[in-house]
Amino acid sequence: MNTSLIVLEIAVVLLGLGVLLADLWLPAERRRALGLAAAFGVMMVLCYSFRLDASVPQFAFGQSYVFDALALFFKRFFLFAAVLVLVMSVEFSDSFHGGASEFYALVLFALAGMMFAASAGGFVLLFVSLELITVTFYVLVSFQRHRAQSLEAGVKYLILGALSSGFLVYGIALVFGAGGTMDFAQLQQKLAANHELAHKPILLAGLLLVLVGLGFKIAAFPFQIWAPDVYQGAPAPTTAFLAVGSKAAGIVLLLRLLQGAVPDVAQHWEKLLMVMSGVTILYGSLCAIPQRGLKRLLGYSSIASAGYLLLGFAAMSRAGSVAILYYLGGYLFTVLAAFAVLCVVLRQADSDDISALAGLGQRSPLLAAALTMAMVSLAGIPPLAGFFGKFLLLKAVVEAGADNPAFYWLLAVALVGVVISLYYCFGVIRAIYWSKNTADTSAIEISMPLRASLYACIAGMLYLGLFPRAAVDAAALAVNVLKL
Amino acid sequence: MTLEALPWLILFLPLLAAVAITLFFQKDEERSANFSIGAVWIGFALSAALLFFTAGKAPLETAVNWLDVGGLKADIGLRVDSLSLLMLLVVTGVGGLIHIYSRGYMHGDAGFSRFFASLSLFTFSMLGIVLANNLLMMFIFWELVGVSSYLLIGFWFEKPSAADAAKKAFLTNRIGDFGFLLGIILVWATLGSLHFGELETALKNNPQALGALATTAGLLLFCGAVGKSAQFPRHVGLPDAMEGPTPVSALIHAATMVAAGVFMLCRIFFILNVPGSMALEVIAWIGGFTALLAALMAVQQNDIKRILAYSTLSQLGYMVMAIGLTAPGAAMFHLTTHAFFKALLFLGAGSVIHTLHHEQDIWRMGGLKTKLPVTYLTFLIGTLALCGVWPLSGFYSKDSILAAAAEHNIALFILGVTVAALTTFYMARLFLVAFLGPAKSDAAEHAHESPSVMTVPLRLLAVPSAIAGFFGLEAFLEKFFHPAEAGHATSFLETIFAPFNHSPLAAFFGLFAVLLGGSCAFSLYWNATRDVLPEKIGLLSRAMRNRFYFDELYEWFIARIQEALATFTDAFDRWIVMGLVRLTHGSVELTGRALRLLQTGNLQTYTFLFAAGVVALLYFVLH
Repeated sequence: MNTSLIVLEIAVVLLGLGVLLADLWLPAERRRALGLAAAFGVMMVLCYSFRLDASVPQFAFGQSYVFDALALFFKRFFLFAAVLVLVMSVEFSDSFHGGASEFYALVLFALAGMMFAASAGGFVLLFVSLELITVTFYVLVSFQRHRAQSLEAGVKYLILGALSSGFLVYGIALVFGAGGTMDFAQLQQKLAANHELAHKPILLAGLLLVLVGLGFKIAAFPFQIWAPDVYQGAPAPTTAFLAVGSKAAGIVLLLRLLQGAVPDVAQHWEKLLMVMSGVTILYGSLCAIPQRGLKRLLGYSSIASAGYLLLGFAAMSRAGSVAILYYLGGYLFTVLAAFAVLCVVLRQADSDDISALAGLGQRSPLLAAALTMAMVSLAGIPPLAGFFGKFLLLKAVVEAGADNPAFYWLLAVALVGVVISLYYCFGVIRAIYWSKNTADTSAIEISMPLRASLYACIAGMLYLGLFPRAAVDAAALAVNVLKL
Repeated sequence: MTLEALPWLILFLPLLAAVAITLFFQKDEERSANFSIGAVWIGFALSAALLFFTAGKAPLETAVNWLDVGGLKADIGLRVDSLSLLMLLVVTGVGGLIHIYSRGYMHGDAGFSRFFASLSLFTFSMLGIVLANNLLMMFIFWELVGVSSYLLIGFWFEKPSAADAAKKAFLTNRIGDFGFLLGIILVWATLGSLHFGELETALKNNPQALGALATTAGLLLFCGAVGKSAQFPRHVGLPDAMEGPTPVSALIHAATMVAAGVFMLCRIFFILNVPGSMALEVIAWIGGFTALLAALMAVQQNDIKRILAYSTLSQLGYMVMAIGLTAPGAAMFHLTTHAFFKALLFLGAGSVIHTLHHEQDIWRMGGLKTKLPVTYLTFLIGTLALCGVWPLSGFYSKDSILAAAAEHNIALFILGVTVAALTTFYMARLFLVAFLGPAKSDAAEHAHESPSVMTVPLRLLAVPSAIAGFFGLEAFLEKFFHPAEAGHATSFLETIFAPFNHSPLAAFFGLFAVLLGGSCAFSLYWNATRDVLPEKIGLLSRAMRNRFYFDELYEWFIARIQEALATFTDAFDRWIVMGLVRLTHGSVELTGRALRLLQTGNLQTYTFLFAAGVVALLYFVLH
C-alpha cells in the first residue's frame, strides 16, 4: 500500500493530536495561540498539497481510497476552509467558556474526515468518512454547553443525523446485496456490463437510501429540515464549517457516486433531481425572506445553494459538473467572508438578530464591505464569484434543455430563486448601512489574522468573478475523472 | 517585457492609482497627487516609447481571452495604431499637464485626494476608449467616461448648481449613448462582429454588407458622438459642465471627453464611408450648423469659461464637419492642435479665476497684462492659435478643414469661413476686455501671478500650441487614413507655406476671416468698459446672449410633453405596476411565512417529515 497518498490526512490528524497534547502543558492564557498555530499548520499542509501531482489516479486500501485530480481539488478546498474556520474559532474562543483547544482539535478531525471523503473510492470509505465528519460535528454544534440553544441544536443534529446514517448504511447494505461489491469502480463496470442490474429495484432502493444520507449532508429537499435550527444554534465557526465543509463533502461524495459509480442509473433520475433541485431552491429562498436571525438566514440561503448545486447534477453533463465545482469555489469565499464578519459582530451580542448589524458601516468599514460583498456575491450579482457560479450552472441547465424541454421550467424556477435571493440579501445590506437606530457606534477592533482572512475572501470573490478562466480550467481538469 | 505589455500598462496604471488613492491614501494628499500624476506621466513616456518602437510597422493588436466556455467567447483587446497612438499622446500629455496644474489649483481643497482619484479614473476610462479594439469594449469605457465625468463635474457636490450640472451632463450623454448602443447592436446583427479589424475587412470585401441599413447604422453610431461631443441638438449640456473645477473643464473640454466623439467617428470612419450611405452628408451639416450656432452664442457671453466652452462646441462642430467631408485626417489634426491650445486657454482662464478669487465675469477683469505676465503671454498665444493666425498651429488644422470644404461643398466652405471670422471676433473680445484696458474691479487691480506649479504647464502647453501645425502631424495622419498616397518628404520651409500652395483659396479666406473678425473686435472693444454691441444689433444680441432660447425651448418641451408623459407613466406605475409588485411581493412573502410554519422546532415533527421524505423519494422512483 502506498502510504504517501494519504500524507495530507496523516499530517492533519497528527496536527489535531498535537493540539490536544499541547493543551496539557500550555498555560490557559496562551491557548489562544494554539488555534493560530493550528491554522498555520493547516496552511502549511495546504501549501504542501500544491507539490503533489494527481494527474494519474492512484489507489490505496485496494480500490477504496483514490487520489486523483478531483480528490486533490476538494482536499485543497477543505484545507482552505479549515484555515479560515480556525482563525474564526480563535476570534470566537472567548464565548466557549473553556475547552477551546478541543474545539480546534475537533475541527481538525472533521477536516481529516472531509479529506478522506474527497478520496472515497467505495462505500466503505464513504460511510466511515461521513461518520467521522458527522460525529465530530455533533460535538462542535453543541460546544457552547452553557447555551440551551446550542445544546438543542446538538441534540437535533444528533438524532436526525443518526436517522440519516441509519438509512445510509441500510442503503449500502442493499447495494452490496444487489451488486456484490463495495467499490465504485467495480460497481460501475458491473452496471455497464449488465443492463439488467441497473433496473433492479433492490439496487435502486439502496442507491436512493444512500442519496438520502447524502441529501441530509447537503441539506437538500426533503432532508433540509434540520438545517435552519442547527445553523442557528451552533457557534458561528461551527456553522461556517457546516455550511462550507460538510456540504462540500456531501457534494464530492454525490459526484463520486452519481457521476462516477452509477452514471447509468443516475441518467434515469433526471426528473427526480430536477424536482429536488427546484423545490430546494424555492424552499430556501422563500423561507429566508421573513428571517430576522442572521445565522438562520444564512442557513436558508445555504439550503438554496444546495438547490443550485443540484442543478448541476440534474443537468448530468460535463458542463454541469464543472459548474458545480466552480460554484463551490465561489461559495467557499462568499460564505466564509459572511461568517467571519458574523463571528466578530456576534462575539458579544447574545442574539444574532439582523439589527446587530446596525451602524456596521461606521463601526468597521472593512467588516461592512466584506459582508456587503458576500451578500452581493450570494445574490449572484456580477462581477463577484457568486454571479459566475450561478451563470455556469444555469448555462448547463439551458444546454440540457436542448434534449429535455422540462429543463426550461427548472431554469425559470432557478431564476425566480435568484430574484428572491436579491430581496433577502439586500435586506442585510440595508441593515448594515441604512439602519435608523444605531445604539453603539464604537469602532470594532479586528485582529491581524482575521483581517488577513477577510482580505483573502474578498480577493477570492473578486478574482473568481473577474478572471473565471483559471478556476474553470482547474474544475474541468478535476471532473475529467468522472464518467461523463 | 514584450511590446504587447506596454498598452496594458498605460491603460491600467491610472486605474491602479485611483484604487490606491481611494483605499489607502485618502488622507495623504501629497502621495495621492504623486500617484495620480506619476501614473499619467509614465503612461506618456510609455506611449512615446510605443510610438518609437512601432513606427512604420503594422498596427499592434493584443488581446486577452477573458472567457471561453463552450460557445461563449469574450475578448478584451487593445489596438495600437497611428490613430490611437496620437490620441494616447494627447490624452496623457495634455492630461498630464492638467494633472500637474490641478495640484496647484486644488491646493487646500477638502476633497484633494478624492479629486485626484476621480481624475485618474477619468484618465483610465478615456484611455480605454482610445485603446479599445472592439465596439463593445469602447462602449463600456464610453460609459465609464460618462460616470467619471459625472464625478468630476459634480466634484463640488455641495453646490446645488454643480450637482444639477453633473446630472444634466450625465443624462444628455446617456440619451446619445442609447443611440450608440442601438448602432452597435445593429452592426453586430448585420456584420456579426464588433472587432474593428474584422469589421473593416468585412466592409472592404463587401461594401454592400450593411445594405439599406448603412445610413441608419451610421447615424445611430453618430448619436454617441452627438452626446459626447455635444453636437446640435444636444449642445445644451456642455456649457453646464463648467461647474466643475477649472482643470476639469480643461480636461473634459480640451483634451479628452468631447474629443472622444470625434475620435470614435474617426475609428469607425470605414463604417460611415460606405457607398450608398447618407450618414456623412448629415454629419457634415450637423457639424457645420453646430459650429455656427455655438460661435454666435459665444459672441455675447460674459463668463470667461462659458466663452471658451462655446468656442469648444464650435470647434468640435468643425471637426465633425471635417469627418462629414470625408477628411478624418483633418478632423484628427484639428483635434490635436485644439487639445493643445484649448487646454492652454482653459488653464490660463483658470489662472485668472484663481488669482481673482473665483471671479469669472470678463467685465470685472482688465489690466492683467502687467500683473500676470506669464498667463497673459501664453493666453495670447492660445488665442492667436485658436483664431488661426499664421503660422500658429490652429491655422494649419483649420486650413485643412476649410480646404476639404472648398473641395466638396462650397456652402459649408462659406459657413466655415464665417465661423472663423466669428471665432476671431469673440476671442479678440475676450482678450481685449479681460487682459487689456483698465482694471474693472478691485480684485483685478490687486491681482498677482499664479504659483509656478500652474504657470509651468501654461508655458509647456504654449509651445505645441504654437508649433504643432508644421510638425508633420498632418502627414502622419494622412499616411494612416490614405496609406495609398504615401506622403513625399518636404522641406521645413515648404511645410510652413504648404497651405498657400496646396489650397490658396482656403488659406487666403482663412486669413481674411481673421483680419475681418479681429478688426471688428478692435473697433468695438479697444479700452471698452462696457459692451456696446447690444446697442448696435439689438435683438440679435439678446438672442445670442440667451443662446437662441434653446434652453427655454427645451424647457417648454419638457414642461408640456414630457410632463404629460411623466404624469401618465407615473399613474401607470403607481396603479398597475405597483399593484403587480405588491401582489408578487405579498404572495411571495406569504408563502415564505407559511412555509416557515413547517419549521416548528419540534424534533418529532422533523423526524416525521424526514421519514416522509424518504418514503416520497422511494415512491417517486420505484412506483
